[in-house]
Amino acid sequence: MSMIDIKVAAVEQVTPLVKHFTFVKQDGSPFPAFSGGSHVVVSMNVGGRVHRNPYSLMGSPVDTEAYHISVRKQEQSRGGSVFMHESVEVGTSLQITYPVNLFSLAKKAHKHILIAGGIGITPFMSQLVDLNRLNSNFELHYAFRSPEHGAFAAQLKAICNDKLHCYADSKNERIDLIDLLSKQPLGIHVYVCGPNPMVVAVIEAARNLGWPENHIHSEQFLSPGIGEPFKIQLAKSNIEVHVPAEMSMLEAIEAAGVDADYLCRGGVCGRCEVNVLESDGALLHHDHFLTDAEKASGKKIMPCVSRARCDRLVLDL
Amino acid sequence: MERGYWIRSKPVYTSLLWHEKATSHLVVAQGQGGMAVLKLFQLMHPKQAITVLYMPHAEADYSKTLVKVVPEGLQLLETEQEVLTKLDSVLQGMCMGMRLYIAGSEDFIWSVAKVANKFGIEDVGMMKELTGTLARPIYCVHCKATTHAVTTNIVKCRGCGRMLFVRDHFSRQLGAYMGLMIDAESPGELPDIEEIYP
Repeated sequence: MSMIDIKVAAVEQVTPLVKHFTFVKQDGSPFPAFSGGSHVVVSMNVGGRVHRNPYSLMGSPVDTEAYHISVRKQEQSRGGSVFMHESVEVGTSLQITYPVNLFSLAKKAHKHILIAGGIGITPFMSQLVDLNRLNSNFELHYAFRSPEHGAFAAQLKAICNDKLHCYADSKNERIDLIDLLSKQPLGIHVYVCGPNPMVVAVIEAARNLGWPENHIHSEQFLSPGIGEPFKIQLAKSNIEVHVPAEMSMLEAIEAAGVDADYLCRGGVCGRCEVNVLESDGALLHHDHFLTDAEKASGKKIMPCVSRARCDRLVLDL
Repeated sequence: MERGYWIRSKPVYTSLLWHEKATSHLVVAQGQGGMAVLKLFQLMHPKQAITVLYMPHAEADYSKTLVKVVPEGLQLLETEQEVLTKLDSVLQGMCMGMRLYIAGSEDFIWSVAKVANKFGIEDVGMMKELTGTLARPIYCVHCKATTHAVTTNIVKCRGCGRMLFVRDHFSRQLGAYMGLMIDAESPGELPDIEEIYP
């Protein structure tokens, strides 16, 4: 996959857990423009092991001088977010992929309701620029743990004015989803990005209120969980690969020198889908891409986030 | 036509079924589409409000039965224009969560869809049942006129008079199948004209 060589131009501690990084291209040339909601995968070498994490681009889509991402330090990090927080500084060289958008705005919507939880605010930061430029009707509902954790709240207030509604958990402020999504005029689209319970709650509320599926948008990158180690057989490459506890299947496959397709590395896009040729145990599906029926069939797996509990697992790779 | 030939843009119509999670229901039907509405009312009625707009047609008029079957919210209209005007005013008062059901000819279905589009209701948010006829609206890619109720493989454009080949290529934006001049390279040389969309 072709990558862009970048260096870090600025690092800013935004909240106790969130850092904002500004990237410029190593050769000084402009970045490609992108559309609001896009993300890049940042590749980092952590103690000899390559980590690749997806992060939403949060700068203006028309700013080709610099890309901006924000990283929340994860309590149960496998190393990626801790590396970004502790080892990346101004001048650090990294590689990123070209931007990909899996969370784009519906152009025909009459109004957009954006719902963010915590670090889930980042994809909306670039979408807001697009919405303002297109003079679109929108409202942003932003929930965070406590005011000190409300990253970019002041900046958002300046962009959104009265279209911004903030909710601090510490003050017992909650988004009333049923109230928010009931009695809305026709032609509205809802978007959610945040922690899993919030994403599930928004999708469920909208569905239960009869909203059509194509008016409900969500993005949630999963980090590959830590699990039990297991072994996989790659049929085409004819090798056996050991997947350690803290490594994803995709990472283990790559470390073994096998080229596998990927885009988001967060269980969303479906690019890394692999056919399961044989297995004698349980596939632990963690992705948001396969349908429940596909997951149950045991014929496909997303190696970026999913794992297995079995003695024998043969993949078509 | 080649066996197994399929063009993605060609609409797929289904049988109308109540959407159980809708917050209100709007059913719009024409002529033989009245039968689709009667079938719909054979199913368990949803609890939410139902509005039915029906326009009888010379070939099929189910108004008498519909008046008996539809508990409330039935409005009988005489022309397509009346249906579309009524639809426009009904949609203005509706909220997210409403579901739209359409039954009738392709001309009728896509005229209704065009009004719904204006309100931000997208194609996948409407349930459509094709009834009565396979006749197609045909958009002339040369003069941009639409010829309605076309039942043959080749048709004379009502705008420019060109003989158009009726394609399966469908535009949701225009609500019509594409028609291309069939004798552009050898004027006057036409294959047999046959009724294939009765």
